Parts: sequence; C-alpha cells; structure tokens
Amino acid sequence: MRSHLRRLAIILLVALPGLWGCDAVTGFLPSEAQPAVSIAAVGATKAARASREITDSEEYYVGRAVATRILSTYPLYRNPAVTEYVNEVGQTVARKSPRPNTFKGYHFAVLDSDEINAFACPGGTIFITRGLLATCASEDELAAVLAHEVTHVVDKDGINSISKARWTEVLTSMGAEAARQYGGEAGSNMVNLFEGSIDDVFKALVVNGYSRGAEYAADVGSVKILTAAGYDPGALAKVLAKMEVKEKAGAGGIFQTHPPTIDRLARVKGAAREEAPSAAEVNRTQRFQKIVQV
Amino acid sequence: MNWPIFFRRPGPWFLALALLTLLLLPGIAMAETMKVTQPNQSLYPDPDFASAPVASVPVGAAVTVLQQAGDWYQVEYQGQRGWLNRQAFPAPAASSWFKLPGLLTGAPVKETSSDEVALAGKGFTPEVESSYKQKHPEAKYAEVDQVEAQQVAAAKLQAFITEGGLKP
Repeated sequence: MRSHLRRLAIILLVALPGLWGCDAVTGFLPSEAQPAVSIAAVGATKAARASREITDSEEYYVGRAVATRILSTYPLYRNPAVTEYVNEVGQTVARKSPRPNTFKGYHFAVLDSDEINAFACPGGTIFITRGLLATCASEDELAAVLAHEVTHVVDKDGINSISKARWTEVLTSMGAEAARQYGGEAGSNMVNLFEGSIDDVFKALVVNGYSRGAEYAADVGSVKILTAAGYDPGALAKVLAKMEVKEKAGAGGIFQTHPPTIDRLARVKGAAREEAPSAAEVNRTQRFQKIVQV
Repeated sequence: MNWPIFFRRPGPWFLALALLTLLLLPGIAMAETMKVTQPNQSLYPDPDFASAPVASVPVGAAVTVLQQAGDWYQVEYQGQRGWLNRQAFPAPAASSWFKLPGLLTGAPVKETSSDEVALAGKGFTPEVESSYKQKHPEAKYAEVDQVEAQQVAAAKLQAFITEGGLKP
C-alpha cells in the first residue's frame, strides 16, 4: 500500500507543474529521460509562447499568400485613377484606425467583378469589388466600407481564423531542437503549415465568413473610424441600406459570408444623421462621382 | 476494533488528499484575471454591440473574468460588471500541455541540414514564402507586388484630406 501511495505522490508531483504550465519537471526524472524532457520542455515553452500573437511580419507573409488566392478567383480592375482614389480614401481611414501601421502598411485594390464583396487580407491588403464600389453613392459610403475592412485587419480576424492547433504546431516546430526532431522534413513541414494557415484564412474570408460578433465589431469600428476621420458616421448605414436592397434581389457575394444586412443595419442606424449633408460632404461626393464611374 | 485503513494509517492518505486538493484547487478557486490589450474597448450591459456601453476600458486594464459566452466575456472592472468583446484580448492562449509521447520517450532524432533548420527556425519567413512560391508557381505574387507598390505620398494624402474637409 505504501509503495502505491508513493507512486501516486510521485505522479502528482511530476504532473502538477505540467498541468499548471510550469516546465520545472526534469529534476524529478531519471537522468536518461532528461534529454527527451528537455526537448519537450522547449517545445512546451514555445507552445506557451504560441499564446503570443503572430508577429506583424508573419501576418504580412500570410496576407500576401491569401491575396494571391483572392487574385486567382477575381482579376484586378486595372484603372489607375480609380485605384489611386480608393487608396487615398483607404489611407485616410486607416490612419484614424486603432492600428494605423502594419508591417508594410495598408494597400487597397479593386477587383474586376460585378459581385458585391470586399476582403481584408491579414497585414493590410484590402480588396473591394467593382460591384460594391458601384453600390456606394459617395466617398463617405466608400470610406465606410473600407473602414469596416480596416477594422478586420485591426482585430486580426483573418489571422484568428488560423486553427489553434495549427498555430501551436507552427510554434512548436520552430527552432533547432524541433528541426532535429522533424529531421529532413523540418522545412517542408513549416511550408505545409504555412499553406494550411492560408487555407484557414481564405476559407474564412471567402467561404464561411467570420463570426457574427466579428462582423458587428467591424461595423462598430467602421463608425468610430468614420467619426475620427471626419466622414459622416451615418455613411455605413446608408451603404448597408443599398446593400440590403441588392441582398433582397438575390445577390450573392458578401451576403453569403456576412450576417443578414438588416441586422447589421439595425445596429448602426443610430449613427445616421437627420440633417442635410455638409458642404464638405457634397464636395467629397462630387469628387467620388467624377472618378468612380464603374 | 477493526477500523477502516484510513483511520488506522492516516498519514499517507492525508498526503495523497492534500496533493489532489492542490491539483484541483486552481481550477475551482481562481477567478481568471485578463489584461485588456486593445484600445477603444467598451464595457456593455449585455453581450451585444447594440447595447449602449456603460464604461470604456483602457489598454492595460486588468479585468476579472466571471464567465465567457461565445465572443463575449462577462467581467468585473473597477466594481462594475459588464461584457467585453473578445477583441479586447489577445488571441486565446494555446495549450501548454506537454505532448506525452515526446515527454516519455523522446521523438526520433534525425539528421537535419542547416537549410532545413533555417527554413523551420523562425516561423513564417521570406524563406518559407520562397518555398511556397516554388511549390505554387501559379500563385499571383507579381500582382500582389503591384498592389503593394501602390503608395500615396504623405503630401498628396494631406492635400486630399484638406480638400475633402476631413480631420487632419
């Protein structure tokens, strides 16, 4: 009986630090087991570090690869004046977001598609389709759409779509110890994990969409950015109302990956103003109409 | 009298019970404290952005998490109860449990070239992107480079903002 109890006590003593995330284990084990524990402990420390967010540069490389996937599905709309204008509006809202700087900055591009859609790649490359651009009736409405996408970058919704198990494996696969464990497959394993991460993000962006909470948060973020930038905070409600009409008419695209537009509209219409647009807003709408004829 | 074994030799049983209590205690007794890491966070009366916020919570604020429901955390902050969206916190911590097979036996040790170590060594790096490009020559990186080359000069952006009557 006494020997059983001693064994139980030893098991608990060894298990406790592991269960509490502590790596002070090796002292309890026979010396021949210690190299293996040492590797596992380093792995576990790295796994614990997995709780660190992905670095800005890692996010950037994932985002670039996700952008290549999007560009395989939708061609670029090559109109320099429109692209330049969309970038000016995009930069105006991005600089007023809670994350004005990313690893290589924000970039905006138009996709040559009638579909009503927009995509935010991790790291700050943002696409809007010609169809959604044409749905916007003013610069302020375009700013509202871009600010929603910028908020997805701010909240790292794309990166958060990478499965937790995969990201943990990325972290545990890093470093020389793990490379030795994986042997000659260390590099290709990391490339496979990279590819899997891109799949996760692309699927969330294009197929499944983010959670409703993430979309509502991006709408709230958009209204905050519009206010901070000096745009009409009610512009998001205005463009959502136009999108709702198209959704009712059976349009696909963004409506397949987002909560019902009517629900989104109900949450942001409080920001809409009753008064007539300011002179500055009228000016902005004029420059929008002059450039955006898509 | 024939006492049960627990009463006859209590010492080892107490040791085992004490250890078990220690093992279970953190899960039962410790309310989790989390730090808000993102700016512009508000405390809502309900787990819904449609409700009017009751307070703002600054970056670095420590909140006591009472419960989690989907994307929302019910927290206590400065004596006030409310709901914070998950965006207030970093991505959920990955498990730090040891992988048992590796812990007990060690993984097979193989020969590894320094290139492989470099490729695997630092996560998602330019080297990993190069390997991915080689594996997928059809990937439209040239177009992504064009998109990234699009810049708005600071002076031009400033003029755009001023002309539009926007906030500097």
